[in-house]
Amino acid sequence: MSDALQSLPRFLPELILMGALAVVIVADLLTQRRPLKNSTDLLNGITLVGLLGALVTSWQALGAGEAQSLFASMLADDGLLGVFRPIFCLTSIVVLLLSMRSKELEGVRLGEMLALLLTVTAALMWMAGSVNLVMIYLSLETVSVASYLMVGYLSSDRLSNEASLKYILFGAVSTGAMLFGLSLLYGMTGTLDLYGVRAALAEGTFGPGLLFVLILVAAGIGFKIAAAPFHFWCPDVYTGAPTPVTAFLSVGPKAAGFAILIRFFYLGLAEPAGGGAIAPVGGADWQMLLMILAVITMTLGNVAALLQTNVKRLLAYSSIAHAGTMLMAACVLSVEGVQAIAAYLAIYLFMNLGAFAVVILAHRVTGSFEIGSYAGFWKRSPLLTVAMGIFLFSLMGIPPFAGFLAKWYVFAAVINAGLGWLAVIGVLNAAVAAFYYVKILRVMVIDEDAGPAPALAFSRLDLALLVLLVVPNILGLLFWGSLDRVTEYSQTLLELG
Amino acid sequence: MIPLEHYLYISAALFSLGVFGVLTRRNAVNVLMSIELIFNSANINLVAFSRFVEGALGGQVFALLVIVIAACEAAVALAIVMSLYRVMKNVNLDEAAELKG
Amino acid sequence: MESMASAAIFYGVAALVLGSALYVVVGKNLVHSAFALVAAFFGVAVFYVYLGADFLAGAQVLIYVGGILTLLLFGVMLTNRIYNLNLRSGAIQVVPGALSAGLVFALLVWIIQSVEWGAMDSGDPGPTSEAIGRLLMGDYLLPFEIASVLLLIALMGAAMLVRRRGKSGS
Repeated sequence: MSDALQSLPRFLPELILMGALAVVIVADLLTQRRPLKNSTDLLNGITLVGLLGALVTSWQALGAGEAQSLFASMLADDGLLGVFRPIFCLTSIVVLLLSMRSKELEGVRLGEMLALLLTVTAALMWMAGSVNLVMIYLSLETVSVASYLMVGYLSSDRLSNEASLKYILFGAVSTGAMLFGLSLLYGMTGTLDLYGVRAALAEGTFGPGLLFVLILVAAGIGFKIAAAPFHFWCPDVYTGAPTPVTAFLSVGPKAAGFAILIRFFYLGLAEPAGGGAIAPVGGADWQMLLMILAVITMTLGNVAALLQTNVKRLLAYSSIAHAGTMLMAACVLSVEGVQAIAAYLAIYLFMNLGAFAVVILAHRVTGSFEIGSYAGFWKRSPLLTVAMGIFLFSLMGIPPFAGFLAKWYVFAAVINAGLGWLAVIGVLNAAVAAFYYVKILRVMVIDEDAGPAPALAFSRLDLALLVLLVVPNILGLLFWGSLDRVTEYSQTLLELG
Repeated sequence: MIPLEHYLYISAALFSLGVFGVLTRRNAVNVLMSIELIFNSANINLVAFSRFVEGALGGQVFALLVIVIAACEAAVALAIVMSLYRVMKNVNLDEAAELKG
Repeated sequence: MESMASAAIFYGVAALVLGSALYVVVGKNLVHSAFALVAAFFGVAVFYVYLGADFLAGAQVLIYVGGILTLLLFGVMLTNRIYNLNLRSGAIQVVPGALSAGLVFALLVWIIQSVEWGAMDSGDPGPTSEAIGRLLMGDYLLPFEIASVLLLIALMGAAMLVRRRGKSGS
């Protein structure tokens, strides 16, 4: 009990989110009975305050104090959790702003959506902190259940419902397989604690049996980060879900999935080998497993994206490809790989959510998600076209933009680890990716709109949102300092236990 | 006394049956039932290992939480099935194919 | 003699569980499948009793049989009553499905035999409710709280999905 009380100060961001959740639920119930004129604004405001509070406290907590295990070794409050917390908060804040501007969510009661957003943000933090098999599974399921509900939020819309049904069936099967794998791992090691798992695995060789367990666990994690071959749900769910939810799914759960992947493989299945490197234990070659996943995921994502005409589907496959790029960094087996993943996610957050922001704003005026409907955008709204250009160039990894930094971190880590062939496959994939990103831009700039093309008008909130997302992408180089801060703390990953 | 391996064989068989159901069934509720079989097989493992390997109650607590999670998932999944039913009046997966992978 | 009888009952229950699980995945009638699932869940509860997990056996019967199955049956019956839909569901791709499931089973059997489980029977732990209660309020306090948050949003969300229709029409 005293352990729980001592853990509370280090648990502040999550506590703020849970407090905001309680307030939102009560406020939603009260305004349902007696509607106010701006009850939606009220609920959005409460949620925003909660998320901002969590962001500020988690930024302050970053690097403050020693790494420490919380709640009887359920969570580790170390550099890795510290780095991921602000990423989750920023994602949810941008998604909240996007949902205010989304046409699909207009006229829909948003109380439950906001409650789900707050819960899922806290659950992502629990995922990133877990160092116990129970916590890994429980937090992953909490994120999943909340995501199913968010995807199916437009319950009178057929696509939203179908996407949600597909998502939950696929998700339940993947997490069920993962659970079975975790139960076998528990049997092999006799403990639920990740540090205990590592100690037990270090003593013996488990070989093929352990590899089978890892494949089952990879199914659960691969489902969260949308890695091939566990990605089948991804394009359909991204297309069917309300677009702000799609934007959220493409960043939040993916980031938390990587956090858990690092925890599980780098902490539970490897021991420190000096100089920030790690060495796998238990006699299962999981580095090869991850490399295979990385190559399949990158290639499949990029090739399939070439064929898409719906921009949400295209971004779905593009997010699969980005997961593949980050998986490359996970094959590095040193702290450098962890740093590269953290840096990549921090930048990916701004470029990918930026692209989704443009999609949502464009949908307000065109009512369509087809790439063809973007024809003539250069004339109708140069501002939106330039913003989209910046996001897409950043996603491509073209030098002046932040996306280049992200790719730089990953490729440097991969090459330093002596995995040159993997880096070559990664570069080839990046070249393929340029085709479909440029395709969108070509339609916006060159193609002529058939009908009359009035100039597009956007509200101040839209402009503020675009600026918020564009600035980190342009000034990527200036953020080098904070990125270093981010990556510096992810080093402390291996400190505990 | 029943040896540990026999529990594991039963759970392996249950898991495989669940996998078979997931692969072959086309009705959403039926797939859900198969998924419940998978959850139960994992739970048998957890409880058996809790007694035979760990010698403590960690696995039982895990299994208890899994039962809670399974209940949540079933509730949410059935709510989605009902909601979809009302929109399209059919829950066979083949016909829920406006979205083609 | 007593242990012989208890072993016989165990393997009888095992046959019942696997038999009903098989019916769940191949049966043609959804309602019959749901009732076969009841039998499977009860059998698993019996395994828990054999393993000395009395509290868990109770939870299994209460939550699975009392909760999840009732929910499944409600789902089946309500959707049937509303739209009078034929509840029979045809299975396809049986052969590849059976092959993959058989492969998984063979692999698992091989793993079970090849791994040294370090098994030692820790004996019947006696009544477990108190110990589990202490664990949930002690070491497993955080998972316990997270499970309650999960239940909260799952119930809220499920209610939202089913209820919303009345207002927005569609």
